[in-house]
Amino acid sequence: MPATRPADVLHACGIPFEASTEVLGEVVRLDVSLIADALAALEESGFDFLVDLFATDTGERLEVTWHLRAFAQRSDLYLKALVDYDGSAPSVWETYPAALYPEREAAELLGMTFTGHPNPKRLLTTDGTEPLLRKSVLIRTAEEVRRPS
Amino acid sequence: MTDEEHMGWQITSEGTQRPGPLPRGLRRIPRGVDELATEHLVLNMGPQHPSTHGVLHVLVELDGEEVIAAEASLGYLHRGIEKLAESRRYHQVPTLLDRADYLSGLHTETAWALTVEKLAGIEVPRKASWLRSLLMELNRYASHLVWIGTFGLDAGAMAPFLYIMRDREMILDVLEAITGSRMMFNYVRPGGVVADIPAGIDAKIREWLSHASGWLDENDALLGGNEIFRLRMNGTGVIDRTTALAFGMTGGCLRASGVDYDLRRDVPYCAYPELEFEVPTGQRGDNWDRYVVRVGEMRQCLRLIRQLLDGMPEGEFSSKRSRALKVPAGESYAAVESPRGELGIHLVSDGGLTPYRMRLRSPAYFNLAVVDEALAGGLIADAIVTLGSLDIVLGEIDR
Repeated sequence: MPATRPADVLHACGIPFEASTEVLGEVVRLDVSLIADALAALEESGFDFLVDLFATDTGERLEVTWHLRAFAQRSDLYLKALVDYDGSAPSVWETYPAALYPEREAAELLGMTFTGHPNPKRLLTTDGTEPLLRKSVLIRTAEEVRRPS
Repeated sequence: MTDEEHMGWQITSEGTQRPGPLPRGLRRIPRGVDELATEHLVLNMGPQHPSTHGVLHVLVELDGEEVIAAEASLGYLHRGIEKLAESRRYHQVPTLLDRADYLSGLHTETAWALTVEKLAGIEVPRKASWLRSLLMELNRYASHLVWIGTFGLDAGAMAPFLYIMRDREMILDVLEAITGSRMMFNYVRPGGVVADIPAGIDAKIREWLSHASGWLDENDALLGGNEIFRLRMNGTGVIDRTTALAFGMTGGCLRASGVDYDLRRDVPYCAYPELEFEVPTGQRGDNWDRYVVRVGEMRQCLRLIRQLLDGMPEGEFSSKRSRALKVPAGESYAAVESPRGELGIHLVSDGGLTPYRMRLRSPAYFNLAVVDEALAGGLIADAIVTLGSLDIVLGEIDR
């Protein structure tokens, strides 16, 4: 167990959240507007490593996941927040510089923005590519791309 | 952006004060190259890496020979593996994953198998775990060999690349005999592995082992024993511990910076809890430390392979399962220590026949993100070496 439990940290900051333990591990769901504060507080409390950041199209909205790790305690934590299509989440690069690339990737592949990102360019795809990881974007053959019916 | 704000960002020009404390690990604000001062020369390195890491394009801003800023431009190998996985059945996904990190496909396959098994609650026979570990170590050794060779090329040493190919061919022959393929293995499946090791392969691996240690010493003497090489490595491309952690670096690059973390030991999987090995670490996080750590890892590889051959259990190599594997709705994450670091796969399932979302946490992707911090302040000649020392594989970065 970590020395400081994430739930205690978030309580102390007055951040409302829902915690659950799943197959994935410890998951905390909260409102996207509170993410920046929550991550800053968690970073202070020992979650010093951002393992990954990615987004998923749930069919109705986008779900962004921040995967944190407390290196000293070897414990992982997942933060999840829902964002509207073409909506935005705060960039957390100041707390976790590791977020710089995955934020750019999530932005282009899911069609959202991360406010405050210092270099909000596309990372993997070229200008004009639709957000590929949205469920509404279908996989097409090269022929279909060249000659849309 | 107003002039005053611009001044605040402008931390690279002479005579400008730093704009207050920066976030941990950062020496500079990562704005990319476009908006930086224009009196410097912006040089395009690529889209092609001097050696064979894949297709990478790095923009470097130069002041004379000194690198002021660097930015990696990715995506030349983007094939949409994460999207394609959403239309493949669970046993078909490893075919795609082999093509992510093409130098160590077995690690990506195993990460996928572990993730699916975790969510679906599939038991894996002990022999399958041992076979996975054995093949992963062989694959790690082959991948590190390529790294040594290309790293030598980056530093201007041609010979080691030719020698490592001799050593690597023998491992690839072994892997081909076991899996049927030299690089695109498609061998590890949820529930176990595809086939048992064929008769006689044990002797073949042992024969390779009898040479490998000597060959490694030879390569190490050729490269690490070369004074010019050492002078170029010492103190260049320094990535300190704080920076490495802040950028999410893992694997040999993180251990070279002095963080003693190895998933094989700290979050054990497959046969690793039953094996004995050491985790080499560095201190300064310069190019030399990264070289020493990887060569140390290769020696541990040989030790592990010997133990895996000696202790290989009898029994089934795969659990009985239907090909149309259904995974209950939910999420899981499992990671392996690939030659480049923590290779994790995050799986989201909706209970259907295909994964709902597959996210590949690529170690080289995070290791490459440090490029601006690592290259800035160094010389352009060292930039190539530092990039090489990160051991990037673009197939895995662009996915």
